[in-house]
Amino acid sequence: MAPALEARGLVKDFPVGLRGVRLRAVDHLDLTVRAGVIYGLLGPNGSGKSTTIKALLGLVLPSAGECRIFGRPSGEVAARRDVGYLPEAPYFYRHLTGRELVGFYGRLCGLGRRELAGRVETVVAQVGMTAAADRAVETYSKGMLQRIGLAQALVHDPRLLILDEPTAGVDPVGSAAMADLIRGLRDAGKTVLLTSHLLGQMEALCDRVAILAGGRLVAEGTVADLAGGTGRQQLEVDRLDEAQVTELRAWLAARGRGLHGVAAAGRGLDAVFLERVGRGKGEGTEA
Amino acid sequence: MNGAPFSFLRLGLVAQNTLREAVRQRLLHLFVGLALALVLGARGLQDFNFGAPELKFIADCGFGAMTLFGSTLTIAATAQLFFSEIENRTALTLLAKPVWRAEFLLGKLVGVALLTALFCALLTGLLAAVLWVREGELMALDPEGFRGGRAVSYAMVALGGWLQWLRLVVLAAFTLLVASFARTQVFAVVCGFGVLVICHLQHLAQEAYTRAGSAVGAALGGLFGGMFPNFQMLSLADSLAAADLPAPGTWLRLTAYGLGWALAAGLLAILSFRRREI
Ligand SMILES: Nc1ncnc2c1ncn2[C@@H]1O[C@H](COP(=O)(O)OP(=O)(O)O)[C@@H](O)[C@H]1O
Ligand SMILES: [Mg+2]
Repeated sequence: MAPALEARGLVKDFPVGLRGVRLRAVDHLDLTVRAGVIYGLLGPNGSGKSTTIKALLGLVLPSAGECRIFGRPSGEVAARRDVGYLPEAPYFYRHLTGRELVGFYGRLCGLGRRELAGRVETVVAQVGMTAAADRAVETYSKGMLQRIGLAQALVHDPRLLILDEPTAGVDPVGSAAMADLIRGLRDAGKTVLLTSHLLGQMEALCDRVAILAGGRLVAEGTVADLAGGTGRQQLEVDRLDEAQVTELRAWLAARGRGLHGVAAAGRGLDAVFLERVGRGKGEGTEA
Repeated sequence: MNGAPFSFLRLGLVAQNTLREAVRQRLLHLFVGLALALVLGARGLQDFNFGAPELKFIADCGFGAMTLFGSTLTIAATAQLFFSEIENRTALTLLAKPVWRAEFLLGKLVGVALLTALFCALLTGLLAAVLWVREGELMALDPEGFRGGRAVSYAMVALGGWLQWLRLVVLAAFTLLVASFARTQVFAVVCGFGVLVICHLQHLAQEAYTRAGSAVGAALGGLFGGMFPNFQMLSLADSLAAADLPAPGTWLRLTAYGLGWALAAGLLAILSFRRREI
């Protein structure tokens, strides 16, 4: 089967300023995303993540190289039938309500009037926007725009989702919900490509990652390959006093092992936040 | 599931959304309000009371308001509706769907054409009503002057509205053509007004060149004539009488002339938009 996404020798130059000065946003990138995985595209701001995504979607013309979606050249309109795309910092028609917006995109994707209403209900509920669905988009907060944006990406039930910074500007509750949703999509057999620079979040979510810097691929592999493999382990134990720690150190030394760090294990602010605020109590959900 | 042929359904969806965005804008309401006020205002000048010529005066006022506000509205709306898609990056989401760029661009054009159609229909209808009422009053005041029945041909008024719409559609297409490659909205608006002036005045220039009789002048006139439509062609003759009503063939020919120019500009816009970075 053809990979979900493929870039071969992708180069994108942007003209900047006068005299034909060019900026290389993506530099000879080779990338393959197999179907059925959550794939993270990581990198600092300006490293070419969004440009790569736009080239993969056929929204910008590559200066060199080629991109394919499920084996079809990205430039073909038909190639985009199987993709849902959430742009970076999305903005939508402010004159529509959330429901109208998702319906509009659904019809563009070829959904008939009959199936449309059901699909819109399903995806709006899936992203937790049912309560706010009849409000005008112009009244939405950033987090709500991200969620209605995800709904429009899902409306035609595509096999592949491309999400550009889906959790930028979203609070921890929203981010956690987004992560759960993305895992659910993968478990339903979808492929998800997402970008972020929130590395902790990506580590827990992605099956594979690629790291870009200055438009170039600097690392690629499974999270375990790239970030695991220090040959060390973490143990969580009940509190020990100083004498006990010294004793433990000696016990380990007798076995040729070292004790490399002792720290109080906190729960982390994230965990406290999620517990106190409650996972399901994001904005836009019913009170 | 092979290929994705050009779809008039998707074009229509984009047009519908464009029209919906336009009619929910306050600036549009202001424009329509002003134009309506002008048409009604012409009616207020009844103190003059100079018989049948007064009706012609009201009609001129009405069509003048339509040209003035209609052209401004068309240029502003076309540029605004196009650039809001680019600047808010809604075009990005739209074109990531299985949508042809041609469907998007022609959808925008059709949306504006529908908007201007509503505008022209509303104002022409109002103008006809004002004329009808005033004509009735004048007939009561001066039965002698109207011995032959009503003096105004309402088919001629309708033709006036139709020609006005054709001019606005051409103007929208040219503005969209500029917008398809322009970096800023202001540039598109300024060029739109430039096109408006050229289209309205080019018959004068051509006459001048012809009279001057120079080969260079004729060539220049020919060049402009080839690049821009002549709005003089799409204007009413100076009469509202039924006797002067053009034959149906002429109506068709004028319609083909206007829509042909709009289509040509639209196709050029598609060509230039094809490679634009969104
Ligand atoms: N339309 C454009 N014109 C000129 N330069 C651009 C354009 N889009 C992106 N760039 C430049 O390309 C580089 C990569 O940008 P981008 O792909 O948005 O990075 P990222 O998404 O990783 O933050 C940046 O230096 C950016 O300034
Ligand atoms: Mg980016």
